[in-house]
Amino acid sequence: MTITVKEELIKRSPLRVLERSISGGLGKGNVGVLASRKGVGKTACLVHIAADKLLQDQHVIHVSYASRVDHIVTWYEDIFKEIAKKPKMRAALDEVDELIRRRVIMNFKQDGARTEQVLRSLEAMIVHGNFRAETVIVDGLDFAQAGPTDLRKFKDFAGRLGLELWFSASLKRDDPLFDERGIPYELEGHLDAIDVLISLQHHGDHVHFNLVKDHDRLAPKDLRLKLDPTTLLIAKDVRARAL
Amino acid sequence: MSTDIARMRNIGISAHIDSGKTTLTERVLFYCKKIHRIHEVKGKDGVGATMDSMDLERERGITIASATTNVEWADHSVNIIDTPGHVDFTIEVERSLRVLDSAVLVLCSVGGVQSQTITVDRQLRRYNVPFIAFVNKLDRVGANPFKVRDQIADKLGHNAVLMQVPIGLESALEGVVDLVTMKALYFDGPEGEAVRVGPVPAELAAEAAKRREELLDAASMFSDELMEAVLEGGPTEDLVRAAVRKGTIARKLVPVFLGSAYRNKGIQPLLDAVVHYLPNPAEVENRAVDLDHGGAERVLQADRAAKTVALAFKLEDGPYGQLTYIRIYQGGLRKGDELVNTRSGQKIKVGRLVRMHADTMAEIAEAEAGDIVALFGVECASGDTFCAPGLNLAMTAIYVPEPVISLAIEPVDKNASDRVAKALNRFTKEDPTFRTHVDPESSQTIIQGMGELHLDVYIERMKREYRAEVKTGMPQVAYREAISQAVEFDYTHKKQTGGSGQYARIIGRLEPLAKGGYEFSNEVRGGRIPREFIPSCEKGFRAALKKGQLIGFPVIGVRVVVNDGQHHPVDSSDIAFQTAAQGAFRQTYMKAKPQILEPVMKVSVEGPSEFAGNVFATISQRRGVIVSSVEDGQFSRVDAEVPLGEMFGYSTVLRSLTQGKAEFTMEFLKYGRVPPHIAELLTEQHLESERKKSQR
Repeated sequence: MTITVKEELIKRSPLRVLERSISGGLGKGNVGVLASRKGVGKTACLVHIAADKLLQDQHVIHVSYASRVDHIVTWYEDIFKEIAKKPKMRAALDEVDELIRRRVIMNFKQDGARTEQVLRSLEAMIVHGNFRAETVIVDGLDFAQAGPTDLRKFKDFAGRLGLELWFSASLKRDDPLFDERGIPYELEGHLDAIDVLISLQHHGDHVHFNLVKDHDRLAPKDLRLKLDPTTLLIAKDVRARAL
Repeated sequence: MSTDIARMRNIGISAHIDSGKTTLTERVLFYCKKIHRIHEVKGKDGVGATMDSMDLERERGITIASATTNVEWADHSVNIIDTPGHVDFTIEVERSLRVLDSAVLVLCSVGGVQSQTITVDRQLRRYNVPFIAFVNKLDRVGANPFKVRDQIADKLGHNAVLMQVPIGLESALEGVVDLVTMKALYFDGPEGEAVRVGPVPAELAAEAAKRREELLDAASMFSDELMEAVLEGGPTEDLVRAAVRKGTIARKLVPVFLGSAYRNKGIQPLLDAVVHYLPNPAEVENRAVDLDHGGAERVLQADRAAKTVALAFKLEDGPYGQLTYIRIYQGGLRKGDELVNTRSGQKIKVGRLVRMHADTMAEIAEAEAGDIVALFGVECASGDTFCAPGLNLAMTAIYVPEPVISLAIEPVDKNASDRVAKALNRFTKEDPTFRTHVDPESSQTIIQGMGELHLDVYIERMKREYRAEVKTGMPQVAYREAISQAVEFDYTHKKQTGGSGQYARIIGRLEPLAKGGYEFSNEVRGGRIPREFIPSCEKGFRAALKKGQLIGFPVIGVRVVVNDGQHHPVDSSDIAFQTAAQGAFRQTYMKAKPQILEPVMKVSVEGPSEFAGNVFATISQRRGVIVSSVEDGQFSRVDAEVPLGEMFGYSTVLRSLTQGKAEFTMEFLKYGRVPPHIAELLTEQHLESERKKSQR
């Protein structure tokens, strides 16, 4: 019973829309980046992506560069509470505890954490800690401060250990943020290490997802997704579909 | 002795292990002229710090039991409780917090906010205890008090504000700049006893001015008067102190002080701060439960004229007989007064009354509300409330966690046996988390506690203080059993053996109760079970829960609903319904898919980042789940949840893996399901031992 509810939940997730748009998903050894200005909802999206992987019985490492991590813990709790609100999912609530056990939060303080050190610790967690992660969320890496080779190092690491890596990139420069192809100017130097690039932008009262790079293709495309302002979950954008 | 309640302070000193709390207390005693020489913890002079009154503590360099002591500073009477830092002994910390009005939170200027600091902070929050922070060890390499202040703000969420800035750091530490007076303080003399006041060094002027501004900003939130004075440019020292005091007592501000106890720097200003910023007993609201009026809450008056209410918070068997530490909340105590123990109803007469200083004492004639003193020759348990005759109040019970580990002990010879009994009797009275019983089946003596170290310490103490040597078995985890699905029951107990028979039938169901514990619900209609036998059913189920059928451990998380039944006008009795309830439980239990639960500990490992990989590996090997890891430069912390059964001997493993550079703390978190392969093993072992027993 709970299994089928869970399967249903996975099947109907708006993240399947995202996967279909990016040739079936990010893929092992690849790097995905969500880019936007501060406060648009990148962390919320990353947590939703992680929660979706957890629901599929995968292991997830959540790397955070924030000064404290309790809000991230709460974020995960909230998202599962939100999911448990769906009819019939209450019975599966018991599993939430199990799901969260497959997630590790690794917190690095920005100024002390070099990419080599972060990768060493990640490898220690996966290999020595016997934590079989399939997805790693990297939230809050400062792309401006990180050298042009840093993202490449992450990508090589993902390739070596067969991981999917999802990053958030906070865009800080003055307008315009994006070039004519929709690529954030601040990420142009990192572009060859990025497999999937999605930008998040406020459009009136909702946040709109724009697929900028899909593996080898560079063609802007509206993903027909939005960020639900009350639940902070990614949702299908009905308005977009009606158009 | 000052008797003015406004000049009284009851403070605790709380901290992470090795933050230098005992070293600090030692300095306090010295500057208050309670001792005439300073001894170091693990000192070469072999005397040990004065507050560690037990040999064992001296040897291990840690403080276990809280010794209370009274000092005088600036015409104020200050009672200090030196609290233990290790999590295994947090009951001591919790008990002292209940009794104290405020605290000094000691932090290491290198380690900053560590796992134990977080635990202590949570306890301070639970008991609403205002505190000031002292950032110690400024002389250590890597000292960074500014980072520690930020951590108090970020990690603990307090409005922390620096009251001082350091003059030099690490080996160059000279003193501090007081941001209220804007004066530099230096600590001269061989033991820092001479405080020299000087102008703020020129190179620190800008920094000090900036920090003072932050301080004034924070403080003026609590005083309009100060805010105006700041705008006009000249707040007086008194005005600033009054505002900081107000914020501190309301727990809305945490003033941060700096120093190095080991280098004798910054202690006297800290003592001034205790007097300036921490509350006197009358400024703290204390409540008691009125047992005569259905447990209504009553606010106590820290007033000498009111009827006496006092709490016995610690017992100690000393060389002069049993000593009972009490805190007086209302009224006063005088030799010859009569008091009632509201738990037992026993009357006592106040005999010798003393004020404690580590392990020496001074006899006093009387004491009053707000004070902490000790009584001689009073029979009671810790946590008992004493009232003047006519009052029937109980101070709210201090939260006591259930023990999670047990160990079988056996005296090495007949002589030791009596002494063991004596020792256990005393320890269990002193420490409610330490328990003991004789196992009826093996007739072994079992001791129970909060962790391996907790039990180790008591075994050592038996040996040292009572010359009672014991052999110990393997530590045993306190497993639990719980049902996982609801099942209905219908059970009839019938016995006809001449004379009056026994008859009882009960119908209902067992349900899992997610929050744990045991609930009984009576839904019987129409007197199918007469009302007087309902408590008998409840009692019967309660008795049955003591031993589950899987592995013989207590069953938790059950709701019993009784909704029907039958009785017989002659043969039904209390005992018949109790027996029926037990039978119903036994018959149904296995159908409710019971599971074995084990205690899962919250484990926190801290140490240099280079060992993080090793730590991950040890957690993973122990069926642990890593919740998070935090790396802050060279220093890292791993938080994990690990079954207690896998943690035996962990300290040795960790020490050898990290060359002694990492340390860990653990505390009980929850009961978690045992994985199937281990559950099977435990069940088999249980069956095996049952078989052996029946063969015998």
